[in-house]
Amino acid sequence: MLGIGIDIGSTATKVAVLNEAGELVRTEVRPTGFSSVEAAEGVRTLLEEDGCLAQPHAVVATGYGRVAVPYADKVVTEITCHGKGAARLFGGDGVVVDIGGQDTKVIKLAGGKVMKFVMNDKCSAGTGRFLEIMADRLAMSQTDLARMAREGTPTPISNMCTVFAESEVISLVGKGEPRENIANGVIESVVARVATLVLQTPGSPYFLTGGLCENDYVVERLGAKLEASVTTCPEARYAGAIGAALCALELG
Amino acid sequence: MEESKLPSTFEEFNDARKASFMKVKEFKDAGGRLVGFLCSYTPLEIIDAAGAASVALCGTSNETVPTAETVFPANLCPLVKSTYGFALADKCPFTYFSDMIVGETTCDGKKKMYELLNELKDVYVLHLPQGQQRAYEADAWYQDVKLFKEHLEAYYDIVITDDDLRAAVCRRNRLRQALLDLYGLQKLTPSATTGMELVSSVMASTFSFDIEAYAAQLEELVAKRRAAYDAGERPVGADRKRVLVTGCPLGGVMNKVVKTIEDNGGVVVCSDDCSGERTSSMMIDPEAPDILRAISDRYLQIHCSVMTPNDGRMENTLDMVERYHADGVIESILTACHTFNVESARMERAMESHGVPYMRLETDYSTGDVGQVETRIAAFIETL
Amino acid sequence: MTDYRDMWQDLGMDLETHDLLCAALPQSFGDIYLTQENRPEGMAFYDFVVSEIHGIRPAELVKLKEDGGKVFGTFCVFVPDEVVVACGGAVTGLCGGSQFWVPEGEKVLPSGMCPLIKASLGAHFGKTCPYFSVSDVYVGETTCDGKKKAYEILGADKQTYLMDMPQMKRPQDYEKWTGGISAFARMVQEVTGVELTAEKLGDAIHLINEKRQALARVHAARKADPLPISGKDVLLMTQIAFFDDPARCAQMANALADELEARIERGEGVFPKGTKRILVTGTPLAIPNWKLHHIIETSGAAVVCEEICTGTRYFEHLVDESATTLEGQFQALSDRYMQNNCACFTPNPGRVEDIVRLAREYRADGVIDCNLKFCTLYDVEKSSVAAALEQEGIPCLALETDYADNDSEQLRTRIGAFIEMLG
Repeated sequence: MLGIGIDIGSTATKVAVLNEAGELVRTEVRPTGFSSVEAAEGVRTLLEEDGCLAQPHAVVATGYGRVAVPYADKVVTEITCHGKGAARLFGGDGVVVDIGGQDTKVIKLAGGKVMKFVMNDKCSAGTGRFLEIMADRLAMSQTDLARMAREGTPTPISNMCTVFAESEVISLVGKGEPRENIANGVIESVVARVATLVLQTPGSPYFLTGGLCENDYVVERLGAKLEASVTTCPEARYAGAIGAALCALELG
Repeated sequence: MEESKLPSTFEEFNDARKASFMKVKEFKDAGGRLVGFLCSYTPLEIIDAAGAASVALCGTSNETVPTAETVFPANLCPLVKSTYGFALADKCPFTYFSDMIVGETTCDGKKKMYELLNELKDVYVLHLPQGQQRAYEADAWYQDVKLFKEHLEAYYDIVITDDDLRAAVCRRNRLRQALLDLYGLQKLTPSATTGMELVSSVMASTFSFDIEAYAAQLEELVAKRRAAYDAGERPVGADRKRVLVTGCPLGGVMNKVVKTIEDNGGVVVCSDDCSGERTSSMMIDPEAPDILRAISDRYLQIHCSVMTPNDGRMENTLDMVERYHADGVIESILTACHTFNVESARMERAMESHGVPYMRLETDYSTGDVGQVETRIAAFIETL
Repeated sequence: MTDYRDMWQDLGMDLETHDLLCAALPQSFGDIYLTQENRPEGMAFYDFVVSEIHGIRPAELVKLKEDGGKVFGTFCVFVPDEVVVACGGAVTGLCGGSQFWVPEGEKVLPSGMCPLIKASLGAHFGKTCPYFSVSDVYVGETTCDGKKKAYEILGADKQTYLMDMPQMKRPQDYEKWTGGISAFARMVQEVTGVELTAEKLGDAIHLINEKRQALARVHAARKADPLPISGKDVLLMTQIAFFDDPARCAQMANALADELEARIERGEGVFPKGTKRILVTGTPLAIPNWKLHHIIETSGAAVVCEEICTGTRYFEHLVDESATTLEGQFQALSDRYMQNNCACFTPNPGRVEDIVRLAREYRADGVIDCNLKFCTLYDVEKSSVAAALEQEGIPCLALETDYADNDSEQLRTRIGAFIEMLG
């Protein structure tokens, strides 16, 4: 049978399919868009077209839109799923840092199990959303933001609140501060907020999951801030979905 | 005496910080006693009488706030976080080398911070009553001040005599008078010095090891400014708007508030924070029959918003506005300081009912809101 | 339902706004409470009280006033009810637990403050709560910065008596609190015009002790597995105890306890045996704040104990009844009330000990430490609680929330993950 994991995040919907042997046979990522119900339906169509749903299977949904998946056999929170997925990708002991669209999670793993976790406050500073908003404000893609940041010298963006930080960025733009420097400041700000959260539950090694795992510069800066190495891989983006797929296999 | 050790991170410090660490280390290695404190309610004469130097440890920099936030909630007063952060990161020589830190039950944030600080350093907490008017509050405070004296006696294995206390009172009175004379310069129209000089001198007085030497230095400064003024020098333009600053301690927002006022057409003529004019004006009679009681009574009368009721503060600020010919009042509130924040509504009412322009400013130690703060301060001064 | 509009009008309330509040409550109560299965019959009384929450008890208090009694409104479990009851007065809890009152409170307070304080002042100034309107005197205490300063604002509008609470627990602080209770008693006598005697106070102490024992019996029933009652239901009972007549409160709680004990004997429960058991600690959950319990109990776990003011801190420890003089009784009261381990004390190792003890007694699988936003005391104490529980091997989840509903999905994720983590 197949284990299908669907992770409906605030920004992106991720799908992972595992075969009976637990091998990752299929991944998919697409924007969640306005409605998580529609995102879930889109995934269903995709899985039908792929023939996944025609085989024996179990579906586990996770992410903030997890309750919007009517065909899921079970819902599991993204914390448990990210923990499981990261344990599968990186091994069962360490600290998982997931910088998500609206939540940043820090999950401590021991023997593949979630021992403890902390999440950001209600606000979005130190999350993927922060980068997204700032990149928009600077009229560049997030990839460009990271590329430019590498060339810039830091300009401190000290506001904790995304809304205020946005106006801080506007005033820096107004002052004629080079975009490279602002980009650098933006990334430093996110990394600093994330590091503060991580240091509430320290312990190495660190694994980065979520949408920023392909952002080399963020990975590098986070490692520098934590004074430890941060491991990631392209599949880490699907950690939540992989974890959900593992949960699905367990249902079988 | 065993030589004191430097922090493990010493080599990473910049030269200025290294130098100040070395300076305090020398003081300690020469047998000096060092007691850290945070609050104006701490009866300093007792520390003086114990032959110890007292240094204010209130964190005034954003530098260590992220360090503190690994333990504390983000939503907490920057002074509390900064202070703890300096202790945790071993970055403040005074905190690092102090024999003990004296805390007090003033506000929720500090009260609970001391519990965690106690894991890093010896902390002795004074039980401050939450009001000044109920008869038993002064008695209870007296008892606590007495316990503090006994604690220092036991700690250093010394005896603190009444004469020691009286001598300490005389020295402190002299320092207070010097500060008051410095404030006096600002009563002149136009004022004889800048608020930056005034406020930074007041701050410096809270961490000089030798208070007599510092008093002498202040007396000299006052005489010099006074002479220059009499000779016709006017360092502050007559067109500058005269601002009185009240509210939370100014140490961490000197540039953001005091300097910004003075960069935007204003001058700070009086400060009304916990180490402000009123606190300096409260002398102790060295001849008082019960000197310890005279000391405890003096300190309890300080106006901080932690006291309830605290009507005296508003009345005093109004009185200062008159004496210092202030054109307006800016209240500086540190983020998450509930007591000043709530009381500011009453301060606003008191000022406005007397036709005194008032502005409330909530800020922290970060640079994030510098632009907004500047805009607000400049606009306020324009309205005066 | 009886029409209380005349009474509310007489109390000077804002009827139009109050109607909006009255209209919202049945819906949320129905969704949260009446959807539960197999509830104890004894809960019918509490459901009835909720259905007339602003009518039936305020009407009794109005009657008490007509008969010459006085009503004292309180905000904290440190205020000794015994003294008021002994002088023929009534005590009513006033803590605001609804977002409904918050915007009104923000007109007189900064928005960056605890919602309980904002809601309380909002209820007073908005004139939308009969318990505030019916009170002759408010009694405050210097427990936290926010309340301490908020009482000054309340005091400008209605007589507010303030008790200066000790901030530590040294022997001299117990004495200080004895003095504080004695001063409070002088005020209560002045207001009620009744002379306090050792006999009257002795009777009141006995009465309130009986109430505590009855509440304790209901709570003790939650040590069983399966649970004979939901955490939500017990929370409601405790919340209502703050308003009710103490004798009736004891009677109703005892009746409920009888029923629960019979259920335990039959092995009957409201959740399947083995449901994950949660102990809640932190700041008070004032009526109608049921959000946390509702999320926990609809995420596959059950709340078995509340180490909060609207929980064990309200009924644990009895007042020693052996004293025969007022002085001795004041001391006995002080000894009891000072055992409360609120985070307002420094240091406060007793709270952590209580949490660990209760977690064991109630066989909790995990602890949720939840505080109201901007509560500095509990927020800072969180790290000590977490460290102690980690050492004891008890899983702990720290949360922060307010009265608004907009974070319920975030809370659901965190709580859901925590329950999954428990296995």
